[in-house]
Order: sequence, then structure tokens, then C-alpha cells
Amino acid sequence: MESKNKTVFYLLLALFIFIVMFPFLWVFLTSIKQQGDIFSSFRWFSSHPTFESYRSALTTRPLVKYMTNSFVIAAFTTLISVVFASFSAYSLTRLPIRGKGIILGIILASSMFPHIAIISPIYNFVTEFNLRNSYTGLIIPYITFSLPLAIWLLSTFFQQIPRDLEESAKMDGASPFLTFRKIIFPLAAPGVFTTAILVFIAAWNEYLFALTINSKETARTVPVGISLYQSEYTIPWGDITAATVIVTIPIVIIVLLFQRKIISGLTSGSVKG
Amino acid sequence: MKRNFSLSEKQLGYVFVLPSLLLILVIVIWPITMSFWNSLFDYKLNDPAKSIRMLKSNVDVERYANDYYYLRKSLEELQSKSPGKSSANWINTLKKDHEKLMKQPGFKDQFNKVDEMVQNFKPVKDENLKYAQADDSVIKGYRSDMLAMSKELNKVEGSKEIKKLGDDSADLAKSVSKEMLAENFVGLSNYGVYLKDGRMWKSLLNTFVFTFFSVLFELVLGLLVALLINRAFFGRSIVRAAVLIPWAIPTAVSAMMWKFLYDGQSGIIAHFFEKIHLVPNAGNLLTTGSGAMSAVILADIWKTMPYIALLLLAGLQTIPKDLYEAASVDGATKWEQFRRITLPLLKSSILVALLFRTLDAFRVFDLIYVLTGGGPANSTEVISIYAYKTLFAQQNFGEGSVLSIIVFVSVALISLIYVKFIGSDLFEGKVKI
Repeated sequence: MESKNKTVFYLLLALFIFIVMFPFLWVFLTSIKQQGDIFSSFRWFSSHPTFESYRSALTTRPLVKYMTNSFVIAAFTTLISVVFASFSAYSLTRLPIRGKGIILGIILASSMFPHIAIISPIYNFVTEFNLRNSYTGLIIPYITFSLPLAIWLLSTFFQQIPRDLEESAKMDGASPFLTFRKIIFPLAAPGVFTTAILVFIAAWNEYLFALTINSKETARTVPVGISLYQSEYTIPWGDITAATVIVTIPIVIIVLLFQRKIISGLTSGSVKG
Repeated sequence: MKRNFSLSEKQLGYVFVLPSLLLILVIVIWPITMSFWNSLFDYKLNDPAKSIRMLKSNVDVERYANDYYYLRKSLEELQSKSPGKSSANWINTLKKDHEKLMKQPGFKDQFNKVDEMVQNFKPVKDENLKYAQADDSVIKGYRSDMLAMSKELNKVEGSKEIKKLGDDSADLAKSVSKEMLAENFVGLSNYGVYLKDGRMWKSLLNTFVFTFFSVLFELVLGLLVALLINRAFFGRSIVRAAVLIPWAIPTAVSAMMWKFLYDGQSGIIAHFFEKIHLVPNAGNLLTTGSGAMSAVILADIWKTMPYIALLLLAGLQTIPKDLYEAASVDGATKWEQFRRITLPLLKSSILVALLFRTLDAFRVFDLIYVLTGGGPANSTEVISIYAYKTLFAQQNFGEGSVLSIIVFVSVALISLIYVKFIGSDLFEGKVKI
């Protein structure tokens, strides 16, 4: 009975993993097929695997440039929002200020703002200051979602740090800022790091702002670049699958390296305890 | 830091929280206010007469200085080539209207200044210089005079040269009419347009259908998966990675993958659905309305269900094991345990997941925009996509802003309803109350 249960469990688990991973598997297998095989057959494996699609994906469109753009924009967005958010989250969780409930309410509400509702004024603003197709032009709108997200996550992490250390620092006569810098910040480092990963992924994945503001080919980010790979008449599935594999690899590495941290970040915002 | 300069805890608190609040004010609250403000105007970026918001009537002085000069020259040439009553009339009308404009307070100085810049081919960048306010009646009179003149000029008879001169003048008169910018504040009438717009209601319905079905399936399947993996087993880290990767890749990239899998010719999933008779033909999946909607929902479930499972799993792990032991000692069946222990204790996790997912699904853009573009025949066009097309494809910032405000209000209403249910749970553990 026990072992039969176990078999069923592992079968179900394998089925679940297979369903979730199948699209990736198929996209990868397609990316190493010959052009002709993609359109004519549904065989799993190509008899003559080739890297032709990869060469084509990297040369027909500036895929490496897309990745650089995405990386720079996401990195700066992360840096700015995590710095501002650390101060705010510390203040909101540890310092005796008034109106905490209202402030957190505003932050939570602004994280739920639909981007489509704010995009036209931001587009006007960015155009007016000649920031279209530049890094700054995307970093500014990206603060709209990354800052509330970072404050929300960091507040949870700061809350979990024991208060005794602060109390003893205070007893020893350390100023509140010194306490923050020497005691809280090092203790919160793992939480800050987790927040940074999540904010980075959110910025890396953003689509709507990137589509409207950075429309020039060399200024595109990865999601926009991939979605515009197709030409007017044909859809080069070989190139697209190869490009998809290339841009997914960094994400897979991040996930494999930091899976525990990511999960702690994702669940801390929604589950008490 | 000198001791007497060090801030008290309270002061430091405000200093720390202020920058973020200011940033949020500037880049979130200000734009939404501007969106609302834009929605009150007949504001179209691609129409020179409506490309700015105007509470009062204005003249585009930069263009006007240029066109007025050429129109006058062209009319004078016409008169010298074919003298007659009508050509003298045209010149008089133009002069009279121009005089009226010049009598407007401050207009003359501004006109001369801009005229000089235009003659030196200098662009007028300063908005306050480029546009001049004028009386509504003067502007409207000038505009209708020019439109009437343009029609008459088109009908000028005579030699080829005279005809061409007439046509050129007609075009110039039309341009001048467009430089007379009537105020384009329309109040709430843009909202009225959409209340009667079938496409808006259809897109709102599509949004609800998408949100309801995707969230429902994600939650039910997510709960099942969470219950399945809530135990110690071999290979947890593989499962964790499998769950996280779909969540972590950009939605636009996953939409592109699914577009390939659903493709009528070379898509394996479309082919598979045809084989098991879910669709009569692989090509139908993305070319029929119901097929495309189901396809989009399925792609969303694939991407988000694992993430929901993760959230619910975290909730499940906070339930103490001895509750179940006690229940089974008392003879409760597995189903009873699920209903009486798991569900009630998981309630807050479920509600929070429900809130975030509903809001995300309601704002859906990337997935549908990339996968179907809202097609076929607008059958998957959700409200965000309709708003995007109106704003950026038609460059209609007035009416498009109405649609974005509709999204905003819907999202606000949904959050209010949920927050009423969830109550203060959301803030617990963050603020000491």
C-alpha cells in the first residue's frame, strides 16, 4: 500500500514536471533542427542537429545588444530602488513615525497601479526631455513598480530582525543612523539581496514601457526584441526558438543559484510568519 | 557625525521615508492625475490642431506666421494675374481677419517676435512663444473664413498657371484654418463616447472572461499541486526549479514560445489538440475566437499556476502537523481534514493569492499582445490592449486616456472589494498596530 502510494505520487510529480517543462524542451529541440524539419515534421529529434538557427538568431537581429540593454536598465533600476527602499522600509518598520498605515497603503496601492493608466503622461514626459530610446528613459518609469515592490519586500525582512541588538546599540549611545548602518544593514543583507533579485527579474521582464518608449531596434530590451523577431511575411521559428533559448539561459542560472532566496522572497510578502 | 547634529529617531524616520514618498508622488500619482486630465480633452498627437491640451483658444503662431506670409503673397499674385472682384475680396478677408487677430492683447508683439525667428529659420521651442491665446469668436471666425475661401479657391478657372495658383492658395488657406486652434476641452464627453462603444464593452467582457477562468484554474490546480508536494520527497530542488522557471522568464518570451506551439502549421500543441479532437483542425486554434481565448488562458495557466502552488505551499507549511494527527485519531477522513483544517487555515493565503492574481490578470497585456495581438476579430482584445491601440496606434491621447482610466478604476474597485475581505491581514507583521 505504502509503496504503491509512493509510485503514484512520483508518477504524478513526473507528469507535472513534464507538463511544465515541455514547452522549453520542445523549443530547445526545435532550435537545433534543420530549417526544413521545423515546418514539415513533428519528430522529437532531428537526424542532423545544427546550430545554424543560433548563428542566424545572433546575426539577423542585435540579440546581444538587447541583452546588454536589459541588463543595464534592470541593474540600475534595482540599485536605485533598493537604496531608496532600504531607508524607507527601515523607517516604516523600526522608527517611531506617524501615519505608517497610510504610507504602506499608498505604497501597496501604487504597486497595483495598472501601467497602462500611467503610460501616456510618462510617454509625454520622456519625449519632452528627449529620453526616448535611452537607458534613463526606461529606468525612470521602471521605478514606478520596482520601488513599491522593494519597500514591500524589505519591510517584511526588516521586521524579522530581532530588536535586542538595536536596543543594546542604543544603550551604548549609538545614534539611530549609526544603528541602521552598523547593525541593521548587515543583518538585513540576505533580505536586501533577495529583494534585489526579485526587483531585477521584474525589471528584466517588463514589456509595456519598453515597447512604447524604446522602440528603436538598438534600444530594445529582451522581451520586446524577441516579440518583434518576426518579419512581416514569415515567422522564422528557427531563429525565434534559438533566441528564446539564449535569453532563457541567464534566467535559468539565476533561478538555479538562488531558488531558496527567491522562494523566501515570493512567499514572505503573502504569508504571515 | 557630530553628536549635536545627530537626528532623533523620529526625525531620521521622516528623512528616510520622504525620498521614496516623493518619488512615488512624482512618478505614480502625478501621471495618473495627468491621465485623467488628458481624458477631458479632444487630444490627438497626430492631428496638429489637437496635439496639445487647450483650455482656451489658441493660435499656432509659428506656423501661422509662415503660412500667413505665403498665403498673402499667393493671393496677391493671383490678383495680378487674373484681376477680379473675388480675388480682391479674398485679400480683404485675409487682411481683416489678420487685423482682428493683431488687435488681441499682446498678440502683435508675439507675432512679430516669432515672425522674425521664422524668417531666420529658427525653430520656436518655447511653448509660451509658439502658442498665443485669442478670443474664441476671433479664432472661430478666422477658421470658417479660411475654410470657405479654400473651397472657392479650388474652383478658380483660367489658364493652367492660374489654376495651380488657386490650388496652392487653397491649400495655404486650409493650413491657416488648422492653425486656429479652438479649445479642445470636452469635459466628460469622451467618457460618453465609450459608454456607447460596443468594442469597449466587448473588451471589458473579454477581460472578465480571461481573468475569471485563468484565476479559477490557476487557483484550483495550484492548490492540488501544493497539496501533492507538501511532503518530504526526493528531488525537491528539481521541482522548485521547474516551478520557478516559467514564473521567472519574461511573459513576452513565453508568449512567443506558445505562439510557436499553437502555430497552425508547425505547432506541436495545436497538432496534439487536433489529434485528440479538441479542435477540428490545428489551424483553428488561433483563428477562431473561442480557440484563441482558450489558448491565451492556457498559456497564462502554464506560466502562473506553479507560482500559485508555491504561495499556497508556503501557507500549507505553516499549518501544524499535530492538528492532522489529532483529527485522524478522532476518525476524520482525509476529505474532512481538508475541509475542516486545511481550507480554514489556508484562507488568508488563498485570499492574498487571489487578490494579486486577479489584479495581475485584469491588467494583462504582454501575453495577449504578443500571442494574438487581440485578434482574431478582437475576440481576445482585453481592455489594456484596446487602450494601448487607441493611445499609441491611433495616437488618440484623449479617448485612449478614458480607457486607461477605466482600467485604473476597475483595478481600484477590485482591490477595495478584496481588501474588505482580507482586512488587515495584509498589513499584519509589517506595522505594529
